[in-house]
Amino acid sequence: MNNSIIKTRDITKVYNGSSVQTQALRGASIDLPRGSFTAIVGPSGHGKSTLMHIIGGLDRPTEGTVFINEQELSRMDNAGLAKLRSERIGFVFQFFNLLQNLTAAENVETAMLFAKVPEKEQGKRARALLEAVGLADKADAKPGQLSGGQQQRVAIARALANDPDILLMDEPTGNLDSAAEAGVLELLRSLHQKGKTLVVVTHNAEIARKAEQVITIRDGRVL
Amino acid sequence: MTLTKLVVKNITRRPGRFVFTLLGIVIGIASFVTFLSLGGNLKREIHRESAALGANLVVTPKGSCAYEQVSILTGEQLPTTITMDEVAKIRAVKGIFAVPFLTEKTAITNRPVAVAGILPGEMKKFKAWEITEGDYFSGENEPGVVLGSVASSQFSLKPGSFVTVRGERLPVKGVLKETGGRDDVTIFLPLSVAQRIYKAGGHVSFVAVRVSDVALIDDTIEKIKETVSLGVVSDKQMLKSVLSIVGTVNITLQLIAAVAILAAAFGIVNTMMTATYERKREIGILQAMGAKQQTIFGIFVLESGFYGFLGGLAGAVAGMLFSTLASPYINQNAFTTFLKGSGTGAVIDLRVMAGSVLFAVLVAVLAGLYPAWRAARLSPVEAISYE
Repeated sequence: MNNSIIKTRDITKVYNGSSVQTQALRGASIDLPRGSFTAIVGPSGHGKSTLMHIIGGLDRPTEGTVFINEQELSRMDNAGLAKLRSERIGFVFQFFNLLQNLTAAENVETAMLFAKVPEKEQGKRARALLEAVGLADKADAKPGQLSGGQQQRVAIARALANDPDILLMDEPTGNLDSAAEAGVLELLRSLHQKGKTLVVVTHNAEIARKAEQVITIRDGRVL
Repeated sequence: MTLTKLVVKNITRRPGRFVFTLLGIVIGIASFVTFLSLGGNLKREIHRESAALGANLVVTPKGSCAYEQVSILTGEQLPTTITMDEVAKIRAVKGIFAVPFLTEKTAITNRPVAVAGILPGEMKKFKAWEITEGDYFSGENEPGVVLGSVASSQFSLKPGSFVTVRGERLPVKGVLKETGGRDDVTIFLPLSVAQRIYKAGGHVSFVAVRVSDVALIDDTIEKIKETVSLGVVSDKQMLKSVLSIVGTVNITLQLIAAVAILAAAFGIVNTMMTATYERKREIGILQAMGAKQQTIFGIFVLESGFYGFLGGLAGAVAGMLFSTLASPYINQNAFTTFLKGSGTGAVIDLRVMAGSVLFAVLVAVLAGLYPAWRAARLSPVEAISYE
């Protein structure tokens, strides 16, 4: 597929524990078009998150190749991967993973710090992003003062801080009640409309139903 | 957000740990600065006393060591083995102005005071003393005392009052104008009176010599040595040997302080190691946001550097304050008596302060290297999956 923004070929991933070897991925190959909305589904522990980590440059495959925007990740050193993560990829996690000692705005600004955005610009952009996710009035609140849904929206604002092409989300609604889940789903829909490439690892049937493409992983293989 | 802001927010998130880690560095640096500053004052005072003595050469009993030379500068008690006959022979050497000293101690209201037996007329010329209150000795054998300005105010002694030296009641004749040296804290007696009171008949402690032509100092030393069988030392040699003793004492004290700083450095290592464990997941989050390994390393090194900077600053201020406040209360002995000087107290040395802060930062940064390296080498997935 020529328009692929994410492409993997025959990825395997083996974790070497102290006594056991775990094969998390066994030759996974996927092609995700630019601007697509993909749900990765499958049972727990079958390699969904591993695949997401490898696509996002957080981990390296044992074998196989990964291309993001036709750049091969295995050719990049750690600093190159960090640069890719700061500029091209935004992560959203199930447990929000906000820095607890920083306010909502500061959490968003911290992501910009690593992309070397000037401090003044950071503040403006963080407020605009928080407004876009409906949290303009919570900019100065610490994560502990926010509900789960609000925290996840801050996490999404943070993922969007450097205007990445790709958003990788690991169970973004896994820890939310249905009202908060609906809010996040709406946000995903609008991000997709704006042309972002969304990859969501999920058990949520609603997300899978909304996605343009569903990839099922079982036993480390793409079905 | 800037790295500095992030670092400040990180180290202040646990106020208790922050304060106790900081205290370790504060105490270490404060003791270092105290010893350094007291040592500095000691050196300054020694230079000042040496200048205040007003002599190019000092004639001491044969075999005198640096300790006796220190005592000359501090006005401590010295053995009285130089005879008046030898004093007369020294004074006969051409091109010099020589004055004998008999240095002893007495106690006024249970506090030790230096006593000096002098030849009143000659000494006044030698030291160019001026009198602020009362009169000077009218004769060479007049029973009475003249006081240094600090001794006068310290014991509330004025012309007309009496002072008891070794059981002998003597009238206060006058008070000298402040000199800025040991003379201010000394009680002066005519030499013959002092010799009688201290049963040092016909002997003195040392002879201070001023050479009219400084170029001839070495020749003069030889001449005096040919004339009498005594030790002769130049003011420069005396300074050198006294300073070397003081230097040894200083280094010993600073080494003790260095151990305190080393202990504080391990406190930082401990705090930073705990931080890397506690914040493992957070390190993963930062990596997911695009923080490079060297950025993570930098954050942790900066954090420990901050401990060094803040602890160093607070320690340097505390050390300076302590040395300024403590120096007047330090017991007198041959070395520490200098600290009292003539009441000027310790001097705040900005270079010592700046140096100490830099040293603290350096130690803290070194202490933070290993924890920072541990933090930086975490794999993003391992870190982010940590619970």
